[in-house]
Formats: sequence, structure tokens, C-alpha cells
Amino acid sequence: MGFREINSKMVEAALQPGQRLYSQRGAMLAYRGEVSFTPNLQGGQGGFLSMVGRRVAGEATPLMTVEGRGTVLFGHGGHHVQVIELTGDTLYVEADRLLAFEGTLEQGTMFMGSQGGVMGMVRGQVTGQGLFTTTLRGRGAVAVMAHGGVFEVPITPQRPVHVDPQAYVAHHGDVRNRLSAALGWREMVGRGSGEAFQLELSGSGAVYVQASEEKL
Amino acid sequence: MFRLQGSKVLAVDMTGDAVKAKNGSMVAYDGQMTFKKLSGGGEGIRGMVTRRITGEQMTVMEVKGHGTCWFADRAAEINLVGLQGDKLYVESSNLLVTDAGLRTGTTFTGLRGASQGNGLFTTTVEGHGQAAILSDGPAVVLRVSPQYPLTVDPGAYIAHQGGGLRQSFQSGVTFRTFLGEGGGEAFQIRFEGEGLVYVQPSERETIAGDV
Repeated sequence: MGFREINSKMVEAALQPGQRLYSQRGAMLAYRGEVSFTPNLQGGQGGFLSMVGRRVAGEATPLMTVEGRGTVLFGHGGHHVQVIELTGDTLYVEADRLLAFEGTLEQGTMFMGSQGGVMGMVRGQVTGQGLFTTTLRGRGAVAVMAHGGVFEVPITPQRPVHVDPQAYVAHHGDVRNRLSAALGWREMVGRGSGEAFQLELSGSGAVYVQASEEKL
Repeated sequence: MFRLQGSKVLAVDMTGDAVKAKNGSMVAYDGQMTFKKLSGGGEGIRGMVTRRITGEQMTVMEVKGHGTCWFADRAAEINLVGLQGDKLYVESSNLLVTDAGLRTGTTFTGLRGASQGNGLFTTTVEGHGQAAILSDGPAVVLRVSPQYPLTVDPGAYIAHQGGGLRQSFQSGVTFRTFLGEGGGEAFQIRFEGEGLVYVQPSERETIAGDV
């Protein structure tokens, strides 16, 4: 199935019977064929427990299930759309940035504090992303939204990457992330460079960065 | 060394050298980088006085290191400008990154600045090297020659380059304007001489737009 990029802000998915995808509610722009859209109160798969988990985590962006036979166009709010293909690894992304993803992917929630301890929690606050993030694992395609264009920076063990927390969109692979603070006396007296906090990503994988420091 | 990645992201490859960038415009980097705040209007006491008087509060940081640093600002389009000893005039809010070797300063623009909604002063960049400027939508570069002067909407003007360029302020204010019958194009900037003018396909909020 996958997603075909129509332009920088729209993607198209071709659906066959037996296939299923999830999308953010209201993100359908147009469709052809026999396609049904059903609100997904659980916000994805995973059963009741994961629903509770998401409610608590505040990662409960309303999703809908899309099934049938036909083609569907997705887009939302004029945001740029980036398609990411997963081949067995895990994508970490904020729920509100998810436009649509294939039903073959397993959805979950991760407590960000579990990576990096107290700094992990601080990171959630600094980035304005809360303490939890959504994970998608398996094989399939994901369409992610961003403000401005998105570019991909590879992460290798030799080359860790630092990202502005506001420009961070998503990452995948076997990646550790921690918040690094360059808080010196300059920041305290208001002479900072404006780059006091950075997300440091190390390991192997890739990070997606948007051309803007504005949230969606 | 300056490389556009798409139209909204600037990648700068550095090997121990430095660039000056708009504060907070770094979106990602690999390798080793340090960020240090500088101030606009030149260095030292004179620069400080200039900043106080002109209100051209350019907050700039020096980025130095080994690796690649990516810059972007609110998803604005980025335009690369090469300077060979000439001077670039640009609003500080539209200046994203310059080579560290380029000198930056402040200059008086008078009425033109006020009509742009940007204040009375503008930033100058001078020397040999590259600069990256921001525009709302893809900018066009228009050549001005003695035979072909150019008139620009103040809200769509973003920068100009070339010491041989004279600019004057034009007003089309008539009695109709005061009756609320203006065409919405009451003020213009006219460029004459020799040089380049950068124009964006969007109009800032200006006083001129209302009359």
C-alpha cells in the first residue's frame, strides 16, 4: 500500500479490501471508491490497557480507521507531509504530528522519562512535547506532519546529531536521546545564543528535522 | 561551504571556521559546535551606542566548529547571496547567516525604512563571502541598470546589493487617498543606478498598505 506524495502537503493511499490504515480524524481531503471512515475511540490498536495508557499520557489524538477499496487523499492544516518507510524498526513521533499510518504497524506509547532519567522529564517540558511519545513499530509507511519542509539527518555511532528541541519532528532506529543543556553564565545574564537546550541523538538511525522552530 | 537543502534549510559545512547566524536559528548539527552570542551594529563601544540609538537590535550568534550545521527560520525561503567586496543592505530580521569574514553594520534609511514598517535603520553586510537571506515565499532578484530603474512595494522589498544603487522614496498620496479611495499602493521605493534588488512575493504589514 504505502503513501504516494501528491505534493509537499498531500499524500494518497491506495486501499485494498483487508487492508487498513489509521489517520488523524478529519485529515481526509478526498476519496474515490468504497471507503469507510470509523472513529477509533481507542486511538489505534492495543486494547483497553493501551487506551488507558494513552489517556493518562495525553497522547490521545483522535484517530479514525480507514478501510475499503479505493484511493484516499490526506492532508491537514497546510502542514508539510513527510512519508517515512519503516522496515522493522521503531519510529518515535508525537501523536499530533501523525497524519496517517498503515495498519500493519504496531502502535504504542513510551514514557520519555525512561530514557535519561530526570533529564528525560525536563526534555519533555523543554520541547513542549510532554512526557510521553507515540511509537510505531514494524513494516509499513507513516505520513508525518511538520511546519515547513523536513530533512533527514543520519545518525551513526561515529556521528551523533544535535537537534533544536523545537525543530525536532521524529526519529527512528536504535537511538538514545538525551537533553543536553549548554547553560552557562551567559544564559543566566540574558546573553545566551538562544541555543541553550539541544537534543542529543546517538546510536544508529535517522532523525527528521523541520525547517522551522514553530510547533504545529 | 553554504549549501541549500531544499529551499528552506541551509546546511553549512565547517572545518574549524565560523559563521554568524541569527540567534536561535540552528535546527540541527553533527560534530562539534559552539554557540556564542554576539551583538549587531558592530563590536565594541561604538557598536553598542549604534544599537542603542538605532534600535536595530540584531541578535547574532557565532557558530564555530567541525561538522555540518543546519539553519532555518520559521519555514521561510532562503536565498544565497555572494559578495565580492560590495555591500548588501538587508533588514536584520531577514538576515539568516553570513560568513564570519563579512563585516556587518547599521545604516540610516530614513523614510523608506519607516514605510517598510521596519524602522529607520537597516543592516549592511560588506566584504568577500556568502550570506543567506530570508524571504516570505521564493524571492526574485531584479537587476537595476541606468536604462531600467525599478520601483518596489516597500512591503515586498527584502534587500538590495550594489554601491551604485540610489534609492528614493515615492509617494502617490493624493486627495483620493484621504477620502479612502486609495489604491493601496500609496508608497513605493524607486531604485536607480546599477545593482540588484531582492523582492519577495508577499507583503509585510506596512503603513503604506493601508493607504
